[in-house]
Amino acid sequence: MNTAHDSVHLALAAIVGESHVVSEPTACAAMAVGGRVPQYIVDPPTAESVAAVLKFAADRDLAVIPRGNGTKLPIGSPPRRYDLALSLKELNHVWHYEPADLTTSVEAGMKLGDFQDFLGGEGLWLPLDPLGGARASIGGILATNSAGPLRLRFGSPRDMVLGIKVATTEGKLVKSGGRVVKNVAGYDLCKLLVGSYGTLGVIVEASFKLFPRLARRATLVLEPGTLGLARDLRRRILNSPLEPLCMVLFNTEASSLLQNGPPPGDAQGLELWIEVGGSPRILERHARDLAEMGRSMGVPSRQLNEQTAKSCWLRLRDYEQLFAGSFPDVMVLKATLPIASSEEFLSFAQQVAEGEEVKMASFAQVGVGIVHLGLWGVKLGTAADRLVTNTRKSAARLGGALVVEQYPNGFNAEPDAWGPSGDHLEAMRRLKAAWDPKGVLSPGRFVGGL
Amino acid sequence: MLYEYDGLSSLRPPDVVVFPRSTEHVVQVVKFAASRKLLVVPRGAGTGLSGGSLPWQGGILIVFSRMKDILEIDIENQRARVQPGVVNLDLSLAVSDDGYYFAPDPSSQKACTLGGNVAENAGGPHTLLYGVTTNHVLGLEVVLPTGEVIHTGGKFWDPPGYDLTGLFVGSEGTLGIVTEITVRLMRKAETVATLLAVYERVVDATRTVAAITARGITPAALEMIDGFTLRAIEEATHAGYPMDSAAVLLIEVEGLREAVEENALQIESVCQEKMARQVRRAKSAEERDLLWKGRKNAFGALGRISPSYYVQDGVIPRTRLPEMLEFIGQVGTRYSVKIGNIFHAGDGNLHPIFLFDPRDADESRRVREAAQEVLAKCIEMGGSITGEHGVGIEKINLMPLLFTADDLDMMRKIKGVFNSEGLFNPGKVFPTGKMCGELRIGAGAGGVL
Repeated sequence: MNTAHDSVHLALAAIVGESHVVSEPTACAAMAVGGRVPQYIVDPPTAESVAAVLKFAADRDLAVIPRGNGTKLPIGSPPRRYDLALSLKELNHVWHYEPADLTTSVEAGMKLGDFQDFLGGEGLWLPLDPLGGARASIGGILATNSAGPLRLRFGSPRDMVLGIKVATTEGKLVKSGGRVVKNVAGYDLCKLLVGSYGTLGVIVEASFKLFPRLARRATLVLEPGTLGLARDLRRRILNSPLEPLCMVLFNTEASSLLQNGPPPGDAQGLELWIEVGGSPRILERHARDLAEMGRSMGVPSRQLNEQTAKSCWLRLRDYEQLFAGSFPDVMVLKATLPIASSEEFLSFAQQVAEGEEVKMASFAQVGVGIVHLGLWGVKLGTAADRLVTNTRKSAARLGGALVVEQYPNGFNAEPDAWGPSGDHLEAMRRLKAAWDPKGVLSPGRFVGGL
Repeated sequence: MLYEYDGLSSLRPPDVVVFPRSTEHVVQVVKFAASRKLLVVPRGAGTGLSGGSLPWQGGILIVFSRMKDILEIDIENQRARVQPGVVNLDLSLAVSDDGYYFAPDPSSQKACTLGGNVAENAGGPHTLLYGVTTNHVLGLEVVLPTGEVIHTGGKFWDPPGYDLTGLFVGSEGTLGIVTEITVRLMRKAETVATLLAVYERVVDATRTVAAITARGITPAALEMIDGFTLRAIEEATHAGYPMDSAAVLLIEVEGLREAVEENALQIESVCQEKMARQVRRAKSAEERDLLWKGRKNAFGALGRISPSYYVQDGVIPRTRLPEMLEFIGQVGTRYSVKIGNIFHAGDGNLHPIFLFDPRDADESRRVREAAQEVLAKCIEMGGSITGEHGVGIEKINLMPLLFTADDLDMMRKIKGVFNSEGLFNPGKVFPTGKMCGELRIGAGAGGVL
């Protein structure tokens, strides 16, 4: 029952205050995950009240899905049940900021864009370009360990977190790590929580190490034409002393989408986008060496103008929106592979997509082995299961894995979003039970139905 | 006898020492131990400084000196797969001709094993820029206390599931025993510049550290050595350090030629601004190697001038270094203890070295108290009691100062998930409530509690 005065609503209001609880059906419908609609939305104003809400939910056996700004909620299996949307948007403070030490502690609900603006005053930043871009929340970025193309140079959130504070289903706030850049006291719960997709506890605060902003950035585009040449080029660059920020290989459909260019179909071939950063001399060196590498391999190159480059990278960061804005229905897959296998995987994925007569936009972080595929077309609905199964087989054969980041409409249970789990599933299950014995946190959304 | 020591020393020898050659051997030993409820302690080279590999309650000591194969080197994927007994430096040497290396470089890297590095989440001077062990390990094979073998991660980033690899790294052998490790290899930098800045006053050196950070430069390494330690090093190694200075900074920048040149010039100007008497750039690989040899052999050099020493491993925000070094000086005076300082200044990771004579019970007590006071100060400054050596046995009693009962309770729950009977590496990492280990001060290498 969804009246404003049922007992759960009243109890939640007693914990967080009436103005922080909503059980109005339209608002709840907007919080749906995997087709399930919660009955309550709570946005606790403090870390302590997040913990209190979790304890209440565990006591009443209410299923909770924590959320920041919702940019990564489509990732994962549909929840087995879902009663309460736990929004962290009120946790929006920077508690500690020591620019001279390059460290900060920030609450989970703060949006990355706001956080970067705040840090920018001192010429610092968190070198992350996660899915959702500026709209992504700190907590969501950590819960999904979401890193974009910049990870080639800077690593993923896992590498930047110095400490976390987590609300548990026991109603406690537990911390791990600290605010200094080196720390090995006790188990590293940061690693366990980062990338746990809201299934163990709710991250309410995190400390990061910060980085000085880059003086300048530039983007060079090489057009290798074939996957074979793209592979040779990737080998040359990774074996050179160059230190690019990002390297992304786009197929025609992807670069057209990104550049708002000619409609897919006007073949232009593959493009390898390389972003570099630093002083003018460092940019020059990269431009010269990369152009020379291209020339020696018969690969044309060009430099993008700064505005185009900037807007394209921004659009790439929000790729789910880009797809959603371009097509009525889309499926997004993420393959994680040994570095040497990206091109072979792309070749196979292209064949699978063509065989199923669906369109495919691919963007591959070839320096780190992470490939995203966006698939669409009238036959998507009937081909989706085969597309997942076959590309997943290919990723596994190459020594990697494949995750469904977004299912097509009305198709969200099989095949499993995460794929088969290894011999560590039982250990994961026991960890889950230690943190969330009642199974109320994001039930069924994670690997192995956890 | 030999195996009752590491960098710390204990009175109790293990009941039995085994040298497995394969994961299967480890599984059999662990299953046997589980069936008889025997304690199991894993050990690499025994270079640890917190007692992590000491079998202080007896039991079976599993020594990995015969599991030292590099199983696979995969240059195109920038990965290697190794057994835990592989010596840290041997891995870097094996991939050196291909232009690669393994980044974490503890001072003991000629002896310490990768299994030990994983257990302690080891650091080293060059982890300032590249991160510590956990940032370079992608996959593990682990034998759990039941004898069950699990595999975490692999050659690729973002394996689906909880990051068990990240949980096991730094868990000090209390959750499982690692029998295979997949690591990331890094490409060697195009060029490197090694600078030595010489100071008349310690405070100028520590102020330089914060000023370099403030300029937006992250050196590959930024080490500080105080005058007392310098002189000991110089007498032992003849590394080319000035005998008459109050402190030096050993600073290394690496990367593209253009970046290195820009950063080196900036660093030189910062050092001069902060009153360095001299800033010298190593002119050859030999000169650079010698400076690093002096740095990495520092503990040994101090061992020459003192019957024993005790190394601490606190961490503070780097802007607090001037204040902290002054505090350490005061503590030394107050307790009449000689303290050397040689440490990873760039990340605020202190290594005060307390010299003492183990036969002098009163001096040993004063060292113990002085060290605790320094660590308490680290906590007060918002820092940590260990940056890279681990908690081991040594710092168990300090854990409640750093963590709340709820924090520790959650860690115990996690331990319970894997090691519910406490058979693996008992009495390490956090207080168990029955802490009564008898530890003594070793001769030569240090260690007191």
